[in-house]
Amino acid sequence: MRFLAVTVSLGAALLVMAAAPSYAAGGDAIFKKSCTGCHYTDGPAKEKTIADQLAKKGPELWYAGSKFKKDWLVAWLQNPKPIRPMKYNSLTDSNKGDHPKQSAGDAAATADFLMGLTSPEVKAGVITPKSSPQAKAIFGKKMPCGGCHEYGKKGDVRGGKSGPSLVGASKRLNPDWVNAYLANIKVFKPVRDMPDFSSALGQKELESVAAYIATFE
Amino acid sequence: MSRFVITTTMALGLALGAAGSAQAADAKQVFDFYCAQCHGVNGDGKGVNVTKDFATDPRNFTNGADMAKRSDEDIKGVIKDGGPSISKSPLMPPWGATLTAAEVDGLLAYIRKFAK
Repeated sequence: MRFLAVTVSLGAALLVMAAAPSYAAGGDAIFKKSCTGCHYTDGPAKEKTIADQLAKKGPELWYAGSKFKKDWLVAWLQNPKPIRPMKYNSLTDSNKGDHPKQSAGDAAATADFLMGLTSPEVKAGVITPKSSPQAKAIFGKKMPCGGCHEYGKKGDVRGGKSGPSLVGASKRLNPDWVNAYLANIKVFKPVRDMPDFSSALGQKELESVAAYIATFE
Repeated sequence: MSRFVITTTMALGLALGAAGSAQAADAKQVFDFYCAQCHGVNGDGKGVNVTKDFATDPRNFTNGADMAKRSDEDIKGVIKDGGPSISKSPLMPPWGATLTAAEVDGLLAYIRKFAK
């Protein structure tokens, strides 16, 4: 009887361990202590109204593990240069670049925690970075992404300022997430100031844009 | 009886007035959130995205003579289907999959007020 009880307990413990997200011990605690004032991680998306979105101090991170590349995230948390030209949710105030910095150890642990937060909407291995005439035409003319997003190379950056910059997107963003975001934007951001392009562009067109953005240095 | 009618009418008027102002506030919020990034909070076409690289001049809603040439249907169509639907710039994107019909109606009324 005792053997059975021990076996069952061990089995249950193993099941709990297997079900838990795989991040280094401490990353979740660091996040709860330092980051939850501005970011939430318990998805799915909570925003239902414009007021809900405007109440947020920073982007939601419940799908961070699907969105970001880990190496970039670890480096950025230690040296957080602005991604958005404007302060979050503001059209008048510039981004001061005052995101808190983390030590190398904390950044690695926090990144481990965040990379465990994924969305089943993002299918892996769909997008391979690639520039194409079709994607360039969509990005530049048909649905000009540069109206709201900065793009280009250092020293020759152009584009609008309301959205996050796409400069360096190849290092920052998982192209499969960009594709999933363009195809089903409402799942990730039910309320946002970017149009839903999924009804204006076909799946192949969206995939080509995601592949093109994945080449941005 | 007549006092009852007057009181009821006044109450109804107040309720309608409150609903009207709430609707106006909603339209401002919708405009500021979606449209002001290019058209500016004041509707003058000077939003934060309008840099030297911006390939067109976003519509200036405070220009009464220009706005008088635009029909309500054209304005609603452009909001829903984007600039190319009336041979204008694709920098005006389609918002039809984002906004409700009521929000588009509210935006039309709000935009019209800039020129008054």
